[in-house]
Amino acid sequence: MKTESSQNSREKEIEKLKKYKYGFSTDIENIKAPKGLNEEVIRFISNIKKEPKWLLDWRLKAYQRLKVLKEPNWQKPKYPKINYQDLYYYSAPKSFKEKPKSLDELDPKLLETYKKLGIPLQEQKRLNNIAVDAVFDSVSVATTFKDKLTEKGIIFCSISEAIQKHPELVRKYLGSVIPLTDHFFATLNSAVFTDGSFVYVPPGVRCPMELSTYFRINASDTGQFERTLIIADKGSYVSYLEGCTAPMRDENQLHAANVELIALDDAEIKYSTVQNWYPGDKDGKGGIYNFVTKRGLCKGKNSKISWTQVETGSAITWKYPSCILKGDNSIGEFYSIAITNNHQKADTGTKMIHLGKNTKSKIISKGISAGFSDMTYRGLVDISKKADNSRNYTQCDSLLMGNKCGAHTVPYIKNKNSGSNLAHEATTSKISEEQLHYCQQRGLNSEEAVGLIVNGFCKEVLQQLPMEFAVEAQKLVGISLEGSVG
Amino acid sequence: MEKQLIKDFEKSFKNSNLDSEKINLKKEFLNKFIKEGLPGKNLENWKFSDLSKIIKTEIGDLSFYNDISSPNKIDPSIYLKGMEHNSIVFINGRVEKINLKFEEIDKVEISEDFQSDKTSLDINSLVNLNSAFAEKNFLLTVKENYSFKKPLVVYHYTNKKIKSQNLNLRLNFELEKNTSLKLIDVLDDFSEKNFINTFYSFKLNEDAILKNYKLDIKNNSNIKYSFTNFEQEKNSLSETFILSSGSDFNKNEINCNLNGNYSSAFVNGILSLNKKKHHEIRTNVNHLTESTKSYQLIKSVLENNARAVYQGKIFVSSDAQKTDGYQLSKAILLEDTTEFNAKPELEIYADDVKCSHGSASGSLNENSIFYIMSRGLNYKQAKELLINGFLLDVINKITDEDVKNLIKTMIGIKE
Amino acid sequence: MLKINNLNAKVGEKSILNDFSLDIKPGEVHAIMGPNGSGKSTLSNILSGKKGYDVSGEIKFEGIDLFSLETEERAHKGIFLAFQYPLEIPGVNTNIFLKTSLNAIRKARGENELDALEFLKLVKQKSKELKFDEEKLNRQLNVGFSGGEKKKNEILQMSILNPKLSILDETDSGLDIDALKTVAQGVNALRKKNNSFLIITHYQRLLDYIKPDHVHVLMNGKITKSGGPDLALELEKKGYEGLN
Repeated sequence: MKTESSQNSREKEIEKLKKYKYGFSTDIENIKAPKGLNEEVIRFISNIKKEPKWLLDWRLKAYQRLKVLKEPNWQKPKYPKINYQDLYYYSAPKSFKEKPKSLDELDPKLLETYKKLGIPLQEQKRLNNIAVDAVFDSVSVATTFKDKLTEKGIIFCSISEAIQKHPELVRKYLGSVIPLTDHFFATLNSAVFTDGSFVYVPPGVRCPMELSTYFRINASDTGQFERTLIIADKGSYVSYLEGCTAPMRDENQLHAANVELIALDDAEIKYSTVQNWYPGDKDGKGGIYNFVTKRGLCKGKNSKISWTQVETGSAITWKYPSCILKGDNSIGEFYSIAITNNHQKADTGTKMIHLGKNTKSKIISKGISAGFSDMTYRGLVDISKKADNSRNYTQCDSLLMGNKCGAHTVPYIKNKNSGSNLAHEATTSKISEEQLHYCQQRGLNSEEAVGLIVNGFCKEVLQQLPMEFAVEAQKLVGISLEGSVG
Repeated sequence: MEKQLIKDFEKSFKNSNLDSEKINLKKEFLNKFIKEGLPGKNLENWKFSDLSKIIKTEIGDLSFYNDISSPNKIDPSIYLKGMEHNSIVFINGRVEKINLKFEEIDKVEISEDFQSDKTSLDINSLVNLNSAFAEKNFLLTVKENYSFKKPLVVYHYTNKKIKSQNLNLRLNFELEKNTSLKLIDVLDDFSEKNFINTFYSFKLNEDAILKNYKLDIKNNSNIKYSFTNFEQEKNSLSETFILSSGSDFNKNEINCNLNGNYSSAFVNGILSLNKKKHHEIRTNVNHLTESTKSYQLIKSVLENNARAVYQGKIFVSSDAQKTDGYQLSKAILLEDTTEFNAKPELEIYADDVKCSHGSASGSLNENSIFYIMSRGLNYKQAKELLINGFLLDVINKITDEDVKNLIKTMIGIKE
Repeated sequence: MLKINNLNAKVGEKSILNDFSLDIKPGEVHAIMGPNGSGKSTLSNILSGKKGYDVSGEIKFEGIDLFSLETEERAHKGIFLAFQYPLEIPGVNTNIFLKTSLNAIRKARGENELDALEFLKLVKQKSKELKFDEEKLNRQLNVGFSGGEKKKNEILQMSILNPKLSILDETDSGLDIDALKTVAQGVNALRKKNNSFLIITHYQRLLDYIKPDHVHVLMNGKITKSGGPDLALELEKKGYEGLN
């Protein structure tokens, strides 16, 4: 009897530990737009953010377009129909009606939230060399290290602030990579986006620190629609990090962000994501729908855009960070680790559109599925007639753990240029008994052994992450697979 | 098109001796086709080859009534030389001759029975069109423990006397336990601008071996679609080789269900295209049980506005542990006017499997050309040598020596 | 036999060879030694007609302007390059390749082409001399060959094609001592009154087995020093820096 009960309590303890670490919610009073999607709500958002008329018109145009667009349904993970009239499109902490001038004016509860998330906004010293813009539900709450960046002429602020202070830049580039009419979720975002980050790096400037945005969904029944716009002017360089968490809630929450990157001549943008939205519980209840549109335009000669993503969270992840290689000699890269466990589903990959001459792209995708989950790599490499001497290399590897999960590879390869070369390789495998045995013989338990092997499997991608993130990502890889080893 | 379909359907079966139940089933297929229409690029399967548009621009409106009441004379020059073989000759969609002179009469059975095949209703619209109009459903059965002594060649011959712009042809094969058959399809066209729709179904029982070689070599302006279905039981083996080159448009679609342990499927092909030709190979190999194997190798050589497409999918169900699935497609684009599209796909639900696919496309390697030229060969010779080498690798996958040599001669490949 | 006068070569803006001159007479063996990036491989590429270089100056081979000849025409005239990195050519059988190549050269020279039997005899004899595993000739050209086998295959091709001027581009790199001896043996067997050699190498090791008549040091695209076989030994001792 005694052993049984102690075993019980031990199991409970383990259960607790395995729970989503970021699954608390913060009790803060919110200002919300009325539920539903209509012109009034859009006017409400635009009005509360004191936006110029052109932007309101732009949003309304998107809304008109949205009315005729259909939700796409070609993706592998299916989801119950979303009632767009039953969502809040704007939610902001009440204390934010007047935006705080400094961190000291922030609601202490918010600061506490970010501390729990490991983003201590006040303790900037610990965040060595990372400037953070924190987005809480719909609004950007704080941006750190502003002064240091301003010295170099770098603009790093919330997009709402950029709309007020740098309207010419926003107007010029907003929607220039993801057009207003692109597809359902992107257009939805254009109509109702609430906040997000804005970065502008002036010509010749190498951004001296990592820029980072931390997204947090807190309020229930709330969609998060942030918009990020990054412009690297001629000869500049910037590395940008993005992290995401959300509280545990039983219902599904929608996150439909748009991210646009523009690299001019000789500029380079490195964009890294560690996505750890709430994935739902082990039976597949709740979790975030992460339907994100990310696209980069290598507009100038010799420009480079590199996407790195570690996707471990969300109930459904559906995104394809892409590169349009327009400038001659431009380079696009995509490094991805996607891990699904329990009932999670992911359909992710990239598009590399080669338009300029001598353009190069590289795709390294590592997918790991465990439990009852389902993982799809979907990608497009398109070499147009004019893209002479272009190159693509694609490698997609999948690892399956158990036979209740799925791993799929769906690449689309189009080559219209005889001087260009494309190579695609994909493999699917499992962790071999021999590998496990070897590690265990050297004293690792089975979960440690799996963690070790999986990290080795992902190494090529983990290496691409900035140091601070790589450590976190490595841990996340281990945690995400907990309980998947039989 | 709808009116024409109904009119031609009525004409086709006005004097038919099929009973009403069968006619009704055919009507069901027809109605389904009318609803779906010709496939276009709005369908994922037809993303790279918009058949509806191609037929519209190349042929225009189709007619479907094929008058096969009067026999055609067989020009003996159509027969393959240098290889003893059995033959079935179709001329303009009409069976003119069945000759199985090399085989034991009681070991092979050909029946013309109408098969109730409601199951194929959901395959696709072209199979529905085929099932609605195909006049006869031949079923060739190879009896237990019998191996064909000589290959069986099916001649698909058309000429200008063809009565319909759309031919629908259907053949079924059942290989009973421990049998083998080599089947060669020769597409031989003198007709112009027709849409030829073929449906093959193979049932391979335990230990059966089927080798099917599909040869489309002669230049012609026809538009072709061929759907082949395999059902494979324990320890059976299928080998398909597609030589796709002659027609203006040709799409070969293969669906293979590996239902029995240790069954295996091999699909190899060459798309050698020029002059605006547009060919596609699409495969669907379904590993449905343990210890099955599939292997695919497709190579394309493209010049002068040609376009090749390869869509290949390996599906592994959660019961199909120890699956071995491999797929590779390679293309050489000789000119900028050419295009190669590929969609190699894996869908996997079991963890103890070895699956991989690869795809590569590009120009001939300039360094290799330079190397060969430095040994005294000119550019053209160097190019030919490299293409020859590139294709040889697929040809060598053909396990039947006679057929391998036949094909080598046909396309002038040297070793 | 080969006369190079003030050869300049550029790739894009980068100049690789500067006023390079060299005179090789029939029967002579010349060795060109130089550090990495000195322009050695560019020289062999230009001599064999590889495209992509911006060249000026003059190269005469037996009095003919080399620039007027295509790569294969140079091969017909008797120039052979043993590649530093021999290419793998999948699907092309080594024997067939050799035969096609030999007959193309013979035809260009106005000689009769060899039939299969004659060719086989020749290959058998040469393979034996060079201890080359004949079975490998039935495989695809260089596919799956080890580094040493590829280099030996180059020497076999050389001895079968019987060129007037053989250029060996770092043929010794990556070879063990036995393979090195075989390569040297192949060269020495071909060494006759009218056959010349240009041996491009980083180390003097190969020159222990093939005695050169002249040794040149190539630095920054220019010959900085010329001398007899002793120069190679001096180089080995002092290094390239120690020469100045």
